[in-house]
Amino acid sequence: MRRPTPSAADLKLLDPEGSFRGRLEKDRQAIAQLSDSGNLDELRRIVHGLAGAAGTFGFAEIGDIAIEIDDRSVAGEAVTPAEIARLLAALEQALGKPEKSA
Amino acid sequence: MTMDIAAAEGDAAARSDRTAAAAFEARILVVEDDESIAALLGRELRGLGHAVDSVRFAEDALLAARANDYALMIVDLGLPDGDGLDLVREMRRRSVEAPILMLTARRRVEDRVIGLSSGADDYLVKPFAVPEMRARVTALLRRPSRLRGHRISIANVVVDTDALEAVVDGVSLALPRKQFQLLELLARRKNHMTPKRMIEETLYGFDDDVSANSIEAQISKLRRALKAAGAGVALETRRGIGYRLLGSSQAPN
Repeated sequence: MRRPTPSAADLKLLDPEGSFRGRLEKDRQAIAQLSDSGNLDELRRIVHGLAGAAGTFGFAEIGDIAIEIDDRSVAGEAVTPAEIARLLAALEQALGKPEKSA
Repeated sequence: MTMDIAAAEGDAAARSDRTAAAAFEARILVVEDDESIAALLGRELRGLGHAVDSVRFAEDALLAARANDYALMIVDLGLPDGDGLDLVREMRRRSVEAPILMLTARRRVEDRVIGLSSGADDYLVKPFAVPEMRARVTALLRRPSRLRGHRISIANVVVDTDALEAVVDGVSLALPRKQFQLLELLARRKNHMTPKRMIEETLYGFDDDVSANSIEAQISKLRRALKAAGAGVALETRRGIGYRLLGSSQAPN
């Protein structure tokens, strides 16, 4: 089940200046680039940050996917392209960007 | 739960917390390298009326703790220059006694146990709900025994919580145990109203038989003892609200 996207009013309470939304966009771009370049250490660092922060700011789905990836990463399991694609799709939806077809 | 409900609950909790915190402004150190989380914590804690210092690195946190008298520290576990667990252990080794709320994305029970065993007083898992963070901060700040300092001064009165002694103008004032505990609590919260319920919780255990006027009687005895010793303080009563210890120059006429 997809969780509701926070309303503008909710986001205003948690992120009055919209800086977290700006961070999501930067993280989205960085994840896409790092995934392509294979820089997995930096990718894990960004995903770990999203695992802790996204849910706090009301982006529950992004947070849930990031937590899944982070947990697997901490357990020593490989990060799969499919998981990264899911995370990017969730980021794109939250940011109001059209999702790319698989 | 929808976000609207969460926001409404958050608003209600914020109002409640702000009311509770209005009488007690604390200085809080936030040790967090995630800029978004650090900014959120700073904004929320300042909204509760507290002063907030924020650092990203464990080394800076140690320097800040040495230079300042914090009422509470919020410490993230994953810091760029080290493990937050090591930082907490080092703080405790250096006798930093401020309550520590550990903040972490580590969700396993064993992680929480290790965190608390290392010297943290409470543990909040990220992602967290802002109303829960506010409530935990308020609860930690409410613990009078963990507030700062072993020697609390107000006017010519010094309360030495290590020696369990009150001193007025350099002369020891012999007080029964409950009156000393009462004086310590009021001195820690000097200039702020202390609710009667908080005094009851400090002075009496669950099983103690507390009569309706027990607190009033203890207040009255303490007031007389302070006056007889020449203490330059006033113990103010506000009916239905609580009690407040003031330096005499601050006492209302």
